[in-house]
Amino acid sequence: MQHAAYFYIRESLLTYRDMRNKQKLKSISVLIPLQEVSASISQLDFSLDGITTIVAEGKFWKRMLYVNGEETISVSEEIGDAYPKDPIITICGSTHTVSKITEELQHYAGLRM
Amino acid sequence: MPVYECNEHQFVENIRRLIETSQKFLVNRRISWHDDAKYGPAILPDEEFNRYAIICIRKSLRSTVFTKVPFIDDFHRRTYDKGENVHGSGNLMFPRMSIPYYKVEYSVNVWGATYFFTFDALFDPHIVIEKRQGKRLSGLVHVLKYNPPPDRLLTLKLPTKVMVFDVKNMVRVIDNSSYF
Repeated sequence: MQHAAYFYIRESLLTYRDMRNKQKLKSISVLIPLQEVSASISQLDFSLDGITTIVAEGKFWKRMLYVNGEETISVSEEIGDAYPKDPIITICGSTHTVSKITEELQHYAGLRM
Repeated sequence: MPVYECNEHQFVENIRRLIETSQKFLVNRRISWHDDAKYGPAILPDEEFNRYAIICIRKSLRSTVFTKVPFIDDFHRRTYDKGENVHGSGNLMFPRMSIPYYKVEYSVNVWGATYFFTFDALFDPHIVIEKRQGKRLSGLVHVLKYNPPPDRLLTLKLPTKVMVFDVKNMVRVIDNSSYF
């Protein structure tokens, strides 16, 4: 019994470590409204963890962080009357998350990666 | 040694490409706190300025900002009277009411070139009414506080196999490879 428990825990740890090591990185700059992006992210059980205001490239941006366990997605959208708005989505998560988000966003025109 | 500036999208995608090529690399990160009057209320977009609307008023973006009520800036330990000019339209570079911020700098060195991405994260204004006892203001007064954004919102989440080094300062590197 002890051996079985040991191997179970060991395998679980290895699987967890593999998952962490298999984290993928992807950034998408996309001409899609923020509402659509947020909806796609929420469908994957990500929840909003925080919002902050940043200034980059001389522009003000609202940076939102979505979290689901070890996976994170940050969405930065320019604040103000800028048009067209192209939020920057940065994903650090599993291959499944990256492909799902990419698929969802590909339903809309103007995708450039 | 050439230095290239990237935006978030470009920087993250460059790192992704490096990961895919199994190239060994190191990402440097520098987070420093600043309060040098770089940002004032007049230059904030309306959405951000609205967070100060209880204590400040302005006609539009880049117009002079006046105080609406007397208040205490708890962060800078300053007291403002009603109708005071806190950021003049003719003096946008030098606001009297400074918004503190974190400067976040990421850089990666590859093949003798440096690629960097930098942004400023503004402190969150938090306005409360508190009972204060002072020379100029006493009783229930508006108090402006600033909360620094949490670390998790400042940092780029990178896969665990990417090594990120926190550094105090980025000093120019002498490229010895050019001698050979």
